[in-house]
Amino acid sequence: MIETRNLCKRYGRVTAVHNLNLFIRRGTVFGIVGENGAGKTTTLSMLATLTPPSSGKAFVNGFEIRRQSAEVRRSIGYMPDSFGVYDDLTADEYLEFYADCYQVPKSVSASRRRELLAWVNLEDKRDTYVNALSRGMQQRLEIARCLMHDPAVLILDEPSSGLDPRSRIELRAVLQRLRTLGKTILISSHMLHELSEIADEIGIIRGGELAAVAAVDVMRAHTSAYRTLRIQGAASAQQWESVLSRDSHVAGLTLEKDGVEVLYAGTLEQQAELLRRLVDAGIPVYQFAEQPTDIEELFLRLTERTTTGA
Amino acid sequence: MWRNPLLRKEFRQRMRTARAPVVISGYLVSMSALTFALLYESVQGQTLLLLPARSEQIFVALSWLQMTVAAFLTPAFAAGSVSGERERRTLPVLLTTPLSPFSILAGKILSSSALLALLLMVTLPLYSLVFLFGGAVPQEVVSVFAFQLFTIVLIAALSVFWSTVVLRSGWSTVLAYATVAWMVVGTGVLGYGLSLLAERNPIDAFAVRWANELLNLNPLWVEASLEGAVQASPYAWVVFVAVYGVVAVALAIPAIWRLRPQAMSVFHRSPRTKSGGTSLL
Repeated sequence: MIETRNLCKRYGRVTAVHNLNLFIRRGTVFGIVGENGAGKTTTLSMLATLTPPSSGKAFVNGFEIRRQSAEVRRSIGYMPDSFGVYDDLTADEYLEFYADCYQVPKSVSASRRRELLAWVNLEDKRDTYVNALSRGMQQRLEIARCLMHDPAVLILDEPSSGLDPRSRIELRAVLQRLRTLGKTILISSHMLHELSEIADEIGIIRGGELAAVAAVDVMRAHTSAYRTLRIQGAASAQQWESVLSRDSHVAGLTLEKDGVEVLYAGTLEQQAELLRRLVDAGIPVYQFAEQPTDIEELFLRLTERTTTGA
Repeated sequence: MWRNPLLRKEFRQRMRTARAPVVISGYLVSMSALTFALLYESVQGQTLLLLPARSEQIFVALSWLQMTVAAFLTPAFAAGSVSGERERRTLPVLLTTPLSPFSILAGKILSSSALLALLLMVTLPLYSLVFLFGGAVPQEVVSVFAFQLFTIVLIAALSVFWSTVVLRSGWSTVLAYATVAWMVVGTGVLGYGLSLLAERNPIDAFAVRWANELLNLNPLWVEASLEGAVQASPYAWVVFVAVYGVVAVALAIPAIWRLRPQAMSVFHRSPRTKSGGTSLL
């Protein structure tokens, strides 16, 4: 449904997207995650036919984005990360305008507008001017706008950016309902945990390259077994390594100025045993604590730039 | 064309605010006051004294004033149309709809011209007052109105194209007004200067030739030629339409490219675009 082959985008000497190879099956919700400037928006904007690629190919709903851009545009509902709305139009007129742009028949348009406004919980805002809606409501209206012509593919670029926590929760509920429509959805975010609640598959993009791709349940299985331990103590690098490398549950080790950070896959009892061994080795341990784990970082360390199948 | 969704949306937006009726009412009141003042001044309080020749002068004065106002008001409505969409961040979504660049530009041009066209229409009863006293003939009035309408659409088109090419409302406004200033003031001053030179030195072929060519590019001059108020070629309007038509097409090409580079792929042999292609985001 969405496929990219060595897709590249360069702006002068800067490469925004480098040899991106992506395959998203029909009906899949695919989350693309990465920091600001990683290349998410450029990728999505190329797939939405807004930015011409420098090289490579991409297909959306079977249409090539450069040669068949008109067909691609008819197949997609695109929501940019930063969007504006038209003043002096009501929510209903706003949807009507886009329905007309997509030549949705008048007989269908009116009922679909009603349904979609109800679907995104804005039925009581039908006659409210769009610029008078809150940001969260505008985001939901944008999702309704994306669905107005019943596209096969939705491309949503950071739909929850700039929202307060309450609006974020409301939008997440709408996005989760989107899953039930059976559409192919490509959605970006800089927060992996947010996408993992919505997506079937996740791709991590870094420096314009796809660093890892995995099914969400595979990723959860990989990451839930691991904990990050922060151990502070007075010991040399050799002393830390001599004790920690003997524990088969230590999956990763990062030496720091006053201790180590350990990626640990053992049970709580095995964790207590590790602490005992450190003390027995004569290392004065000042702190032994579990740290919040950055699952994106953890996932990348585990996959080490390899991809795992769904 | 009337099925253009952008045009309908713009009409809805523009006519909904207080701005449109205020502009129309203000313009009509000003023009009415001026017309009655000119009529009163020409008869000096005695209605029976109104002569057809004086009546025609009033018609010429009113139409010149109308053309000047329309020429300088049109960029105010058109120069920020596409750049404004970009600045309001509504353009990327508009560009992912199936609307063609031509439809987008046509919608913007016609919607920005509409209010000005409406201003022309509301002054028609004033012209009928001038008719009462003879002087101007209906064909003259029709040709003047048609030319004014064409000039408004032309200036709106040039302003919308500038707005699309530079994508900054400030710059597009400057360029649109520079274009209008050239059309109304630049060609007038240069053309009139050269014609004065040609009168004093009739053997200067350059001055003789270019005086008329430049004046043919001035909307006020062409309008005056349609009214028979100046001695000009009967085809002055043809030169005006042809030259500015070419200019508009030349500016439309980069505007279309700006909106959708793929639309211009007919000019590229290779399917690959150069790196660093334009982005409207």
